[in-house]
Amino acid sequence: MRTVLKVVDNSGAKKVMCIQALKGKKGARLGDTIIASVKEAMPNGKVKKGKVVYGVVVRAAMQRGRCDGSEVKFDDNAVVLVDKQGQPIGTRVFGPVPHELRQKKHVKILTLAEHIA
Amino acid sequence: MASQVLPQALHMIPRNQVQPFNPVKNRGFSAFLSRGPSPLTTSKVSVSGFHSKFPVGSSFSCFARRGFVVRAESNPEGEGEGEGEAEGNENGVEEPEMKAKAEAEVEGEGEGEDEAEEEKPKEPRKPRIKLGDIMGILNKRAIEASDKERPTPDLRTGDIVEIKLEVPENRRRLSVYKGIVISKQNAGIHTTIRIRRIIAGIGVEIVFPVYSPNIKEIKVVKHRKVRRARLYYLRDKLPRLSTFK
Repeated sequence: MRTVLKVVDNSGAKKVMCIQALKGKKGARLGDTIIASVKEAMPNGKVKKGKVVYGVVVRAAMQRGRCDGSEVKFDDNAVVLVDKQGQPIGTRVFGPVPHELRQKKHVKILTLAEHIA
Repeated sequence: MASQVLPQALHMIPRNQVQPFNPVKNRGFSAFLSRGPSPLTTSKVSVSGFHSKFPVGSSFSCFARRGFVVRAESNPEGEGEGEGEAEGNENGVEEPEMKAKAEAEVEGEGEGEDEAEEEKPKEPRKPRIKLGDIMGILNKRAIEASDKERPTPDLRTGDIVEIKLEVPENRRRLSVYKGIVISKQNAGIHTTIRIRRIIAGIGVEIVFPVYSPNIKEIKVVKHRKVRRARLYYLRDKLPRLSTFK
């Protein structure tokens, strides 16, 4: 809620603010889907300012534990905008994305990603 | 307590049952209690005035020795030595029982002890494992077991390392992680190192358990001189300092 996240695809938005975490009582974590409101957008993009969109958190500054005992943590909070079905709106994804997306069945984002951390 | 038990009855408790770990104490005590002042020992009441100055920790050894001793065919042999033992024995004994009785008993023990010593050479006492050491020993064993499969190099903060990791999701290939060690947390088998690197413009920190079986190889590529144990200041610095080709 109210977390401003960076958008790392080329859907047109620049910053979104989280208004609801779809899963999890304590908020969304790395790999979860959120509902967000676009706060800042590029002038000619697929999404406009004020639109309510879905997004997948691909980078979080909070560490996420993996089942082998390792933990991963990024320096910023970033999201990739998706539609209701989970398919990304944009066509490119910038920056590293974690493995956890594979388990959450966001395979499309993984294939578009520059680097899988 | 003052039961007149015949010396022969003391044969009941064999020596080898008395080991440091078992709840010997009770047996020792019962052995003690069941024994009365044997007729042979009443004559030597010279062992008086000994006070328990020795640390309580030796009480176990006292009990162990008492196991030898309970074979009380007590002959008056080497009394000097017997008295020496008596001091140690008396210490463990004194806590629960009366001093007078302890002294009398202890003499009988001392004599029996000599006999036992004559029979076989004294074996070196095994180092006792204390309760507080158990986790340390288990951790050391686990680390040795993991080291056998894959030797782990000595890692320090400031090393630039390359880690080859097998990820269950990426079954095909090993993932490679390169970066600088910014901290090392020592916790036995769960010793972890934190690797930082700038990937595609974003700083990423990953914590790896050093002795994990998923890690196939750790290699120290370079070393950077640092004057800290934890390099958290790198988070605020220029990305250039955390970039490694």
